[in-house]
Amino acid sequence: MQDAIDTLEANPLLPEVARVQRKITESADTISLRLCRVDSRPLSYRPGQFNMLGLPGFKEAPFSFSSLGDYTGTFVHTIRAAGNVVSALCRLDRGDPVAFRGPFGAGWPLDKAAGKNLVLVAGGIGMAPLRPVVEHVRRNRDRFRDVFLLYGAKTTEDLLYRRQLAQWNEEITVLLAADQVRGELPLPVQEGVVTKLLPRVQVAMPETITFMCGPQVMMKFAAGALILNGQSSGDIYVSLERRMECGLALCGHCQIGAKFVCRDGPVFALADITRFQDTLL
Amino acid sequence: MDSSHSISADNLYHWVGSLVDRFRVLGPVPAKRGQNVFAQIGNSEQLALDYCTTMIGPRSFIYPSVQQLFTIDRETNAYTTTDSGPARTQLIFAIHPCDMHAITVLDRTFLGPNKDFYYAKRRRETHTVVLNCNKACDQGFCASMRTGPFLQLTEGFDVVMTALDGGYLLEAGSRRGQELIETAPGLKKTRRARLYEKSQLEERATASFTKSLKIEGLPELLLQTVEHPVYKEVADARCLGCSNCVMVCPTCFCYKVIDRTDFGPRMVERSRQWDACQDYGFAEVHSGNFRQPQQARLRQFLTHKLCTWVEQYGCFGCVGCGRCMTWCPTGIDITEMAKEIQRDPTRQLEPA
Repeated sequence: MQDAIDTLEANPLLPEVARVQRKITESADTISLRLCRVDSRPLSYRPGQFNMLGLPGFKEAPFSFSSLGDYTGTFVHTIRAAGNVVSALCRLDRGDPVAFRGPFGAGWPLDKAAGKNLVLVAGGIGMAPLRPVVEHVRRNRDRFRDVFLLYGAKTTEDLLYRRQLAQWNEEITVLLAADQVRGELPLPVQEGVVTKLLPRVQVAMPETITFMCGPQVMMKFAAGALILNGQSSGDIYVSLERRMECGLALCGHCQIGAKFVCRDGPVFALADITRFQDTLL
Repeated sequence: MDSSHSISADNLYHWVGSLVDRFRVLGPVPAKRGQNVFAQIGNSEQLALDYCTTMIGPRSFIYPSVQQLFTIDRETNAYTTTDSGPARTQLIFAIHPCDMHAITVLDRTFLGPNKDFYYAKRRRETHTVVLNCNKACDQGFCASMRTGPFLQLTEGFDVVMTALDGGYLLEAGSRRGQELIETAPGLKKTRRARLYEKSQLEERATASFTKSLKIEGLPELLLQTVEHPVYKEVADARCLGCSNCVMVCPTCFCYKVIDRTDFGPRMVERSRQWDACQDYGFAEVHSGNFRQPQQARLRQFLTHKLCTWVEQYGCFGCVGCGRCMTWCPTGIDITEMAKEIQRDPTRQLEPA
């Protein structure tokens, strides 16, 4: 133990500063920030991982990487104005400094999905951690069989990355849903909740992996429907939202049973967490 | 074994006197209403070596309840840690085995793969001298948790003392401890009879407990009984959600982060403060609260200590010190709750 203490000099709680390179408006309440380290060193990360973003006076909060980036080592986070630190982040402009620590977490099990069908289920801001998966699939399309994106939001206008959805549809099947359909999109939008799209996914469940992220209620019902269709809960992966103050399995807030969402997740196979209490709302 | 020595009570007090000159010595001292607390001592006479337990263990000297992490300068974007650990090397004297075990439990959180900079500095600069307990305390059940009444550790501490007839036995747990013992006056080589006396005392102390908990199979059982009615019954009837249990628990590690801006407002100070899973907002996010009812929060405390901790760290999160029960305003007893689940694991909630 003494040796372990003596070799310590790094302080993983101390953040690094990045600057806003670009700010993109995604919807009425959601923006994306493309960030770049002050010294321009590239940051490497995997789909499903996250950063802790912070501002002086506003502490920190966790945000998934919402894009694979453009190979220049910058990184993108999509942020919906909800809560204190988040609203402050939304007010940032090009050139402004942001503190970050990361990347943290284990990310999506892309290797496990290789050679199989992949179903992505996203609700609202839950599309953000799944966009890097879509990008990864498009860059490595031959490694996957049938790939579906089922994406729902409150209204058509709340769907994120609207200009990219049609492009994605060239390589994967993009199915959209909204509680209220209004305005025009290049792709059809079904009225109702995202789980209504599930019957249109006609694939052999034992050969299929599902990744999902969205509101608790969406994940609960989508997982239930998939399991009824014969999918194993070990093949359904969810990205979970929890309060986090450290990202390092120290502060304790994100614990679900024996799991630290920040370290062991935020992506979990449903089978690994349903044995604990207080898992889904 | 040459790491074991005997010392008279007088010489032990002289030794403490010399330690006070070299270290910031933290020991058990009398407080109000018959309580004892760990506090810095100026001389050996302040010590209450026959103390039973303290309200709060010495956790705060290694993991302070409030800790400044760093300052932020808004103008230069400089994030600066000024923390350099304790001003003087600390020595916790006469810490009981439960509390010593608790520090090694905290080590598994803060000195694991993500080493905590602040904790590590304090842990390194803190010597520990354990005092074995010759009798059980009222609420303690350390014998059940294998963390007492005599120290069960082979490393992670510096010295362990045992009060024998007319003196003390000193045994080293580390090289640092060995060096500490060598500074004590009037050391005698330990005779075999003294070691026998120690084992007799341990046996007698272990037999003196009134409180116990059967831990074999308990983590597995608690994982299968998360819907047991005992959580709702106790939470509804008695739990105030006050967090006393967490504040006095020597293994609790959770914290929250606090930013404080000066009036400038150029400088911001970021600190952390002990937090409690019993607080309503502990597991709250924008879209909801994962442990909204009190029963969920009470269950989190109990199942974390006695069940999921084992999967996380390979040891229980409870050292059997009994403080959570002693300081619960309504006397909630986690051993009684666990026993109720053991008694009837499949009991259902009575229809209202």
